[in-house]
Parts: sequence; C-alpha cells; structure tokens
Amino acid sequence: MYDESIQRTIDKKGIAPIKVEPQYLSELIANFKTSYPSSVILTGTAGDGKTYYCREVWLALGGDKEEWDNGETIKILQLKEHSLYVIKDLSELSEDNRYIINEMAESIKQDNGKVFLVAANDGQLLEKWKNIECNYIVSEVADCIEDLLVSEQQQKEGYNLQLINLSRTNSAKVFPKIVKSVVSHPGWDECHNCSLKENESVEKRCPIWENKKRLEGSGNEKVLLDRLVDLLELCELNEVHIPIRQLLLLISNMILGHPDARDKLMSCGQVPKISENRSVSSASIYRNIFGENLSERRRETTDIFSTLNRFGIGTESNNFIDNILIFGEDDPELTDLFKKYMTSDEFYGADETFKAEQKSYLEGEVSKEESDRFLNRLRSQRQRLFFTVNAIDIEEIQIWDLTSFKYAGEFLEKVHRQLENGKRVQPKILTRLVKGINRISTGLLTKDSDVIYLSTSGSHSQSKISRVFESEISVRPNRGESVDINLENGKPVLIVKISLSDEIDHVSLKLHLVRYEFISRVAEGELPGSFSRECYEDLLAFKSRLLNQLEYRKKIEGVYETDPDRMVLELLRINNEGMLYRRTVEVEFE
Amino acid sequence: MEKLPRPKKMDSSMWVDEAIWGHRLYDEQTPWLCIMEFLNVLQSENQNGRAFKEGNFNTLRYTTYPRMYLRNILFNNPQMELIEKNFRNDNHSQWNKWIDEMNKNSGGMNVVDYSYLKKRFTSFQDFVEIINFLRSSTIEGENNKRWSSQFIFPYGPDCLYEDLRVTGTSISNDRRFFARTGEILYLMLSRSHKKDEILGYLSNKILDGKSSFNRLVALLQPDDEQFDGEKREGGYLPYSNLPEYDLLSDDWINLFNCNMPKYDVFPHLVNITGLHMIIYSLNRSKEVLNNLNNTTFILEIIAPQKTIIRDLASDSYSHNNNLSKQAIEEYILGIKNTEEWDKVITSGDPYEAARDLIVRRFSWRDDDKAKATSAEGLLDEFFKKASVRHKQHVQNFHRVWGREIGLVSKRSSRRLRYAPTDSLLKALVLSNVESKMEFQEFLDRLYTKYGFIIGDRQAEALLETGQADMEAFSENAVRLEERLSSMGLLKRLSDACAYVENPFVKVGIR
Repeated sequence: MYDESIQRTIDKKGIAPIKVEPQYLSELIANFKTSYPSSVILTGTAGDGKTYYCREVWLALGGDKEEWDNGETIKILQLKEHSLYVIKDLSELSEDNRYIINEMAESIKQDNGKVFLVAANDGQLLEKWKNIECNYIVSEVADCIEDLLVSEQQQKEGYNLQLINLSRTNSAKVFPKIVKSVVSHPGWDECHNCSLKENESVEKRCPIWENKKRLEGSGNEKVLLDRLVDLLELCELNEVHIPIRQLLLLISNMILGHPDARDKLMSCGQVPKISENRSVSSASIYRNIFGENLSERRRETTDIFSTLNRFGIGTESNNFIDNILIFGEDDPELTDLFKKYMTSDEFYGADETFKAEQKSYLEGEVSKEESDRFLNRLRSQRQRLFFTVNAIDIEEIQIWDLTSFKYAGEFLEKVHRQLENGKRVQPKILTRLVKGINRISTGLLTKDSDVIYLSTSGSHSQSKISRVFESEISVRPNRGESVDINLENGKPVLIVKISLSDEIDHVSLKLHLVRYEFISRVAEGELPGSFSRECYEDLLAFKSRLLNQLEYRKKIEGVYETDPDRMVLELLRINNEGMLYRRTVEVEFE
Repeated sequence: MEKLPRPKKMDSSMWVDEAIWGHRLYDEQTPWLCIMEFLNVLQSENQNGRAFKEGNFNTLRYTTYPRMYLRNILFNNPQMELIEKNFRNDNHSQWNKWIDEMNKNSGGMNVVDYSYLKKRFTSFQDFVEIINFLRSSTIEGENNKRWSSQFIFPYGPDCLYEDLRVTGTSISNDRRFFARTGEILYLMLSRSHKKDEILGYLSNKILDGKSSFNRLVALLQPDDEQFDGEKREGGYLPYSNLPEYDLLSDDWINLFNCNMPKYDVFPHLVNITGLHMIIYSLNRSKEVLNNLNNTTFILEIIAPQKTIIRDLASDSYSHNNNLSKQAIEEYILGIKNTEEWDKVITSGDPYEAARDLIVRRFSWRDDDKAKATSAEGLLDEFFKKASVRHKQHVQNFHRVWGREIGLVSKRSSRRLRYAPTDSLLKALVLSNVESKMEFQEFLDRLYTKYGFIIGDRQAEALLETGQADMEAFSENAVRLEERLSSMGLLKRLSDACAYVENPFVKVGIR
C-alpha cells in the first residue's frame, strides 16, 4: 500500500525519488533470466521493501508499468522458458485464487513450466500455506518454508526455492547510504538563494538547514552519523531489525522535527515564525532522533522511536557528565570541556536561556515548575552530548554511561567489531563474562574465572544458591573443553566446548546486548534493581543446557558415577579471596 | 453428571463445600505442600500395590510415617553448630555432647537414642555439613512454620512423612498443612487417563528410593525405627470423571517429557498443578450457578504504566473470586425454587419440615441449636452458618493459590489481578510447547486449554461487547512476546512472526 501511494506522490510532485541500491535486486533479476530459475519468496518486516523488489524485478524483466498498476493480485510474465507469476502481497490472495498455492508447491518440487516471485510477511506466509486444504506436496513445501524461516537458511536441497528474508538486511549498513542519498538530493539546491540558510544572526538561521548540515557532518567529522550507526548496529545485534521505511522516517524526523510545527514537522514557511518565537532549540536534531517533538503516544507507537528510546539516552548519566553540564562553567577543571561541548554550539548548546536557568537552578531560587524545565533541558543536552563527543574525549567522557547499557560501547568495539576484523576478543572480557556466569550459576559471590562452575542445590539446578558441585569446564583449552567467543552468522556467540568428540555438540549462548550487559554487571557487582529479572531466567536456561550436555557426555563416554556403596558430596565454599573451593564429604552406604 | 455419595465415615458439621468442591480445598495448604501430601499418599498406596487404583470411589485409606528422628535432626536441632564450634577438633566429644543433648530434647518421641549416627559418618563435621546441606533444600525455604511442618525435598520414600503437631513427647495429626488437598490431587490423578504413565515416571524418579540423596536421608534414620503405621482415611472427590482430571494429567506428562536435569521438573509441576486446581474450583462453582460459559482469565502482562488491561484483569479476577461465594448461596438458597420447598411451606408444620429437608440435603448436624422460628428463618440461619464456614478457607482458595503459583499479583496496583510471573510463564511454555510453536498458536492454546485471554484474537468475545479495544490487547500480547524472548523462550523472525521454543528440546544456538 505504501509503495503504491509513494509512487503516486512521486509522479504528482515530480520529485526525484530517494534511491539506494537494494542488496538482492541484481541477484534476483539474474535468477529469473536463467533457463532454470528458482521460485523466490521474499519475506520481511513491513517496510523492508518487499513490494519495491517485486516491482523492480517486474520492470527489469520487461513487465509493463501500467499492467503493474492495474490492481490484479496475480501478474503473469512470459520468460524464456517459463511463465513468471508475481504476487506482491500474498495476503491479498482471494479464496478463488487459492489454487495458485498448489501450483506453486508443484513448481517447487518439479518443473511445471511455472516459476514464482511471492512477497509476504512471514506470519501471513505460514498462515496461507498451512491453512490451505492440504495435499501432500503443499504440506511438504509448507514444512520446508517453516524450516527455512526458523533456521534462517535461504535454500534447502530438493526444493527449487529461495527464501529471502529482507529482515536480515543490516540496517546499520544501509543507513549511511540512505543518509547520503537524502543529503545530496538535488532538491536542496533550491535552498541556495534562501536568506535564512546561513544567516549572520544565529537567531534567524534556518534549523532545517542546520540539521541537514549536522547529519551530513563535515570531512572526517561524522560523529553524529557514526553514533547513530552504532545504535542501529546494537539493535541488530539485539535481534531488533529496523526496516528501511523506519529509517526514512527517522531521517525525515531528524531534519524536520519541531514540537510546535504543523504535524510536528517544519516546512520552510514555518521557519521565520519559529525563529521569532525563539524556539529553534526545540528543533534540535539530537532530540528529534528520539522523537521528542512528537506526542508521547505517537513516540511510543512508532517503532523506530520506541526502539531508540530503550537506550534511555537522556535519562541515564554519570556524575562526571552531569558535573560538566551543571557546574562546568565555574569549575576550573571542567571548564574546557564545558566550552568545547556546550558554549561552542551556539545553536543547540548552552545558549543564554540555558545559562540563565542554570544559574537560578544552582542558586535554588526556582519553583518546582522551573526546576523541571531546567532538568528537561539537561536531558536534551545529554542527548546532544551523546552524539557530539568526539573520539579524543571518549575515554574521559564515558558516553555509554549516558545509555542504559554502559557496556554497549565495549560490546560493539571490542567484541563484535573486533571479531568482524578477524581478531580475538581480549582475555579480560572473557574473564569477566565467565565470572558473571559463575555468579549466576552458583549464586555465590565468586571471583573465579578459570573454569565455569556448574552446581545445583541437590534438588534443582535452578535454585538461587547452588552449593552442590556437579562439574566444571575449563576456559583454557583442555582435553576438548574450552570457552571462547566467536562469530556465528555474523553475531558474537559464547561457545562452550565440552568434548573432543564430534558426537558431543558444544553449547552456545548468543551474546546480544542485553545478555552481555547483564552478565557484565553481575560480574562487576553492580546490577541495578531496575534491570530485568528475565535475563536471569534466560541464563539459568543456559545452565540447564550445559548440565544436560554434560549428562550426555557422561553417557557417551560411559562414565556412570553412581557407585552403589558410596556417595561423594562436594559442597562449594568460598574463601576470603572470593575463590570457590570444594569441601568433600563421603558417605558409605553399608 | 451424578455426584458420588458421601462416604459414611466422614465427619463434618454440614455437607456443603464438600459436596461442591470435595473434601477439601484448603487455602493454607500451599501447592508445594499439596504435592508433598500427594507423594505421601502415592508412596503408601504404591507400597501396597494399589497406586492410583481406586476400587470403590472415595475409599482411600493409607499409612503415614512420622519419621521423628529425621525431623528432629533436621529441624529441631539448634545446638548442633554450637557444639561443633565449642568442641572443635574433638570429634569424640562433639558426638557425645550432641547425642546427649538430642536424647534429652527431642520432640514427639518417648525413648530416644541417637548413638546409631556416630558410626555412620566419618566425622561430626561431615555430619554437620550434610545436615546443613539437606536443610538448604527445605521445601519453601525460609518459611516460618513450626518445625514439625518443615519438609525436605522429596528425593525418595525415605524423605516422606506427614505434617504433625508435636506436644512434648507426643504427636497428633491436626491437619494444619496437610489438609487433604493432596488427597484430592491424588484422587484426581487416579481418575485421569494418564495415571499409569505418571506412576511410571514417579516410580523411577522417586518411589524406587534408589537416588543417592534418598539413601543419604535414610542413613539419618535408625534401622529399627518403629512406625505406628497409622491409617488415614482419605478425602472425598465428588465426580468420578471430569475433563479437568485428564488435562491435569496431560500437563504432568508434558512436563515429564521435557527431560529437565535433576529434579527441576518439580517447581513447574507445583505451579501447573496449582493452576489446574484453581480452574477445577472455578468450574465447580459455575456448575452450581448453571453458568455454561467457559472459565476465563484476563491476564495482564505487566506494563510499566497503567493500562486498560490492568483494570480488565482486576475485574476478571474479582469476578472469578466471587464465584464460590455465589455458588454457596445458590446451592443453599436455591432450594427455595424447588417443589420440595413448596411442600415444606404448605405442610402442617413448616418449621419441622424445613428442618428435615435441610438436615437431609445438607447433613446439618447442629440443627437442634438453631435459633430461628420459621422455615425461611431456619434456612437463612443455615445459609449464614455455611457462609461463615466457607469464608474461612474454601473462599480464599482462589486468591491464596493464585498468588502462590504466580498467577495473581498486586504489583504496582492496589487491586489484585491476574498478572503471571516469569516462573509461571516458563511452566506454561514447558507444558504446552513440545519443541516449537508459533506465537499466535501458543496464545490460542493457552486460551482453549486454560481460558487465558492475552491477545486480541482471544479477546474477540470481549471486544464484541465493547469492553476493550483491540489495540490494548495486541499490545498486551507484544509484551508477552518480548518477555518470553528475554527469558530465552521465544525466537522472533520478523514483526509478524515468532516462535515459542521449549529450551530443553532443541540444541543449537540461543
């Protein structure tokens, strides 16, 4: 639906569309040009560009534009040796047309002269395939589709089908391309003669242009863009996919957002009024990133903003940063940073209003309302700081403390990107993770990090404190045991190997942001009460899997420890250095 | 369906709650203790070759064990650690001092001698370690119940004993925490279709007594401990056959099939059993009220802010919570709409006729102490008495058990409502998802099986009556999806498709 109305708008207004080379397009077109094309199912989240792909393939293969717009659900195009059936939205398929599913299933199992290009979100896809009156082939293909979806694979042997999940497109990689396409769009040329563009007087300058400039960055200074890419990358690592439509929405709101504007988005005509009302600071691109120009309800219901707001940027902080913001002007040790990051930004930084409010706040001569207003400004400044602190100061100003995930920066740079560059993760990080896992697994405040301890309470493995030692797994490689962090499917995974034998699988734990943060914080003993308990359950499930796998190892290796005449109970204790040791108690059964 | 007759020997001042729900659902017996009582019954019947075999309905008679040595050692033994410290490095004195102390101060036994322990353990210190460890697996951890109501984990038959009251050297069974809810559970499972499979599993896990922890516990008890072997008369369960029994047994088997390590299945078993018992109790109320609608629960998946779902979940809770009270009213006062009552009113002596009828119908024992003077008055008086009795325990069952299993919560609100905890959610996943299940299908399963309303599709009936908007319910479902995902129980493919996964089944990357 979106794609169609956008096409109409483009035609009507005569604007050049924003174009980004789509990842799979050439591959798709090539597929249908061969003599043995395979059918393709495109799935993905709403806004990933499914319809766009279908249309582009249609046109590239010589399909007619008018026919595309004629409203038929199923469109047919003659290829070299096959008829191509394009269904751009499977959910539009009416009852009468359900037979087409049978034909498609057939074409996937054996060449029947037909080939398909079908787009659907995966929920509808399965529903359509599973609810149909089943013949054998349909249900077989339906199972294949389900397998491909769940196992994140593209193809399966014996089926002439490719399942392309557009949700696996990495938004962090696409985003800079879209930004480039937006900021270099020819439409900006019309601003050349605008008097507000770079007006001498700061108050009169156009916030739209200012925001565009900041998004674009200058030369190598692209802090804002880099940091946004960081956030998007973290979302992807956290298994939250952001479709292209949401990225476009984000960019337009970043540039145009203003709470007082009509529809909350500024147009050129409204700019003079905004300057007049001295409310340019409300157009701050740093606030707009989080949708602060929108109503709370709108913000929460728009995916991209609710996702970005989960980082808590603006509400989280540390003492050092807040000291710069509040006392920086008068504190000789902080004043340099205050100047560099606050007063130097005449537009969105510490302007006169900020300074005046700051002064009254510090002198305590404010009403509740005024102090709230100042705290709100602080929030905006923290958001701005997150997107402006450059590489030189990043060690001193710990910008990730401005988010709910203080280990996020480390996770991204020293784990994910480190691995992507083919390097190993530093031992100290692995040590910390193992320590955290040991604390969760045993419920004891241990510092051990050479082995993973597995213990139970005797009765259950999931109890808060588990003192009965079951087993340990060496972190350094030792007789097939080892613990390491590697990339799997492009994502960091903690891999626990427990045997040299191929028969015994390793146990792995995907390290996404929340888990990484949770384990790290447990290891450092600073888990805030607000942090979700759900993660704890999650890690206990990991422990269960380890225990099960060790049980399996015992079986395979033929070690049956149950000596009918004796019981050895090893109870974990902790010494003054915080290290675990085992106290062994033996009991003889007569 | 025909109700089973009241067992002759069962003593009770009236037969109202019992007739509707059985004898009995007891609020103060927590779900864990219900399972413990159940295991006691099962163990005893199993020993006599009668496990889950009922013969005539409601004629259960089983033996219980006091195991007073074990319980004194574990839970009435305050001097142990002190003695260990005071006589450090002197194993001999430690033992002697402690045995001396225990021989003097044990409760519930007449002739006492603990000296058998000395030769069974390498050292007193080891003994202390073992006792401390076993204590750490006490059921419901840090509770403040009396020592004779503390239970260790059921590793095997040697860990099973009944709840008792101890006065000096004598013991009595006061049914304080083993109040027959476990017997009810036993009867339910005896009448379910998977009873043999359940017995098979529990035999291997617990009843055969082979686990080393069970043998360890046995080691703490003297060989020649005399059990009174007192027989207990079992409870009463009104129906010979109900779908609720089968659903309960299905879930037990589903949980067993997960093959969790160690005894991890037990906490889930407790929660799921609690849930089925609550549904059973609500369904019985509805039956009396002739309410043919399915029992439903609107569940709030806790949201950071107050939502419309929170109110609906509270309303749904209060509605269900009032059902048992209404059932009592209908059960007693509903008699006025019968021909029998018409006869009473028109008879020569309505008061006596009413008294006859009430005594016959409800087995009222204290009819001679009644103060009322008219037929109507007598019925009202009886109703008030029955209500007061109902209020003491059965009426609280839904609330207390709901909170115990993590279905009912007060979190960030003053009103109670249905808002499941993580552990209940996990139990639900484990007992419903064999390997993987599409999320909407999972919601649907919870609805058809338990009457849980979480997402918009399940709320359709409510939406038709204009009680809530679609969006609120679909957001509720999204919250569940997110929560399951962070618990490692759900895999999301895109915004439209997610799979709930049983973590014990599939090995792979998580």
